[in-house]
Amino acid sequence: MMLLLMTRLPAAAVAVLLLLVHRVTAHDPVLTIAVIAYTAFSLGALTLLPRLQLSALAWLVDCAAMLALVVASEDWRSPFYVLMLTALILPSTGLPLRRALVWGLTFTLAYLGVAVYTELDEDTLASTIRLETIATHVMVPLVVTLALAYAADVLERLRDERLRSERFAVQSERQRIAWELHDSAKQRVHAAHLVLSALQSQVSGAQAQLVGHALGELRAAGADMETSVAELRTPLEGRSVERLLDERAAELGPVSDAEISVHGELGELPAHIAAHVYRIGAEALTNAVRHGGASHVEVVLARNGASASIEVRDDGCGLPAIRRPGSNGLRSMRSRADTIGADLSIGPGPDGRGTSVLLSLTDPDARSSEP
Amino acid sequence: MIRILIVDDHPAMRAGLTAVLRAEPGLVPLDAATSEADLWPTLNRTRPDVVVLDYHLPGDDGLVLCRAIKRQIPPPYVLLYSAHADAALTIPARLAGVDGLVSKAAPANELYDAIRRVARGERVLPPISRELLNGVSNRLQADELPILGMTLEDTPLAEIADTLGVDPVEISRRIDRMIKRLKVEIPTPRDAG
Repeated sequence: MMLLLMTRLPAAAVAVLLLLVHRVTAHDPVLTIAVIAYTAFSLGALTLLPRLQLSALAWLVDCAAMLALVVASEDWRSPFYVLMLTALILPSTGLPLRRALVWGLTFTLAYLGVAVYTELDEDTLASTIRLETIATHVMVPLVVTLALAYAADVLERLRDERLRSERFAVQSERQRIAWELHDSAKQRVHAAHLVLSALQSQVSGAQAQLVGHALGELRAAGADMETSVAELRTPLEGRSVERLLDERAAELGPVSDAEISVHGELGELPAHIAAHVYRIGAEALTNAVRHGGASHVEVVLARNGASASIEVRDDGCGLPAIRRPGSNGLRSMRSRADTIGADLSIGPGPDGRGTSVLLSLTDPDARSSEP
Repeated sequence: MIRILIVDDHPAMRAGLTAVLRAEPGLVPLDAATSEADLWPTLNRTRPDVVVLDYHLPGDDGLVLCRAIKRQIPPPYVLLYSAHADAALTIPARLAGVDGLVSKAAPANELYDAIRRVARGERVLPPISRELLNGVSNRLQADELPILGMTLEDTPLAEIADTLGVDPVEISRRIDRMIKRLKVEIPTPRDAG
């Protein structure tokens, strides 16, 4: 658009000047007014409605108007020739390379038609100089289109390349941070938790309470780190919890016999809350499919003003009486629920069969303002 | 008295584990190795009953090391101690001959309990669900499935080799390959590329 402004204004000025100093047709004053009016109108419209800058219809109208001016000047060596060329700027830079060339070629043929219509006679064709002039006039639109389209294409590719390398840099940085969090900080948190948990059985009363509190904080820190690491590696990127759970269900579907359905929606949630909520939901879903031996698993999401809830119900064999050794799933679900201040209840389904995991959040938006 | 060797690459974890195990009556931490390099001399010197082995180590991971440790005579019990102790690790752990799997997020009493049970010859691993088995089977070749099935049924290597009519060394090599394919990948910073 900048290029159009920079070329169309001087080109219009040159056209007006030529019309003033040199008599071109019998109706020069009308043409002068038309040029000034059209230049002002076209530039004004394109500036006020930037949408038009990418509209093929607007380009078509612009090109047609320019050719009409040339026709009105009754000579293909028109004072409006340069002005006419400016109509090629937007299509050349706005279209992909090949289509821009097709546009330029069509325009050139149209101009050739105008030249034939206006004055091209046997005289012109007989004279070498005049033939050379017509050839130049016809070639220039094509060359202009080609040059502009090529430059625009190169620019576009450069921009893509830069975007790609920026994204790559961000990705590497995320991986590095995730690695450091996981490899060092989290190991220390695990070690501190382990040492403190060994102390728990040796203290009692108020001290036991203190140790229990510290253990809870360490578990929450571990859960926060786990979510951060997962988020750094595969960010939710603003996708909704229901969509992500749908995707997870689609992943689990083919390797299990369970029929999984996801209903309802949670609506907008603050990013870190959404990250924890999704990972709790995904864990519950995975457990239901993996250990519950269920034939139906239902995920129900609900949002009611300030409160939100997500329930994962299955008709499987229910929770084992004793915890599975080595498993980390339930523990990390609880820690995650703690860090976002949500209630997590895990128990048998409503009719005593299967398992129901219910996560309820009150006022998720208010909580996000806490540090 | 259960004599224990720790293998972990993080100093905080080694120090924490040693302190916690020393505090528990009946458990004796003998030494702590940081990686494969100092594992073998330490193992030969201390001859532990149980090896508490980190899964994610520089160089070869815990599963590969477990295979090698289990070739010792007599083989110690191996407890895989991992921050990634989820169900997905169970099948590769079984293939590698791991006796127990404990999460690094577990409190000390769970670790004590797992060490005592492993040292009694029990297996402390999550049960293997059908979904997990289906998922794993999809990632293995057809000729590897009987090996997986028999390993999960505790069939000795020689018997597997006999049944399939394949050399035991070849079976062992195939198990290594299966573990490699099934192990839980932990991305490193280099993976960004």
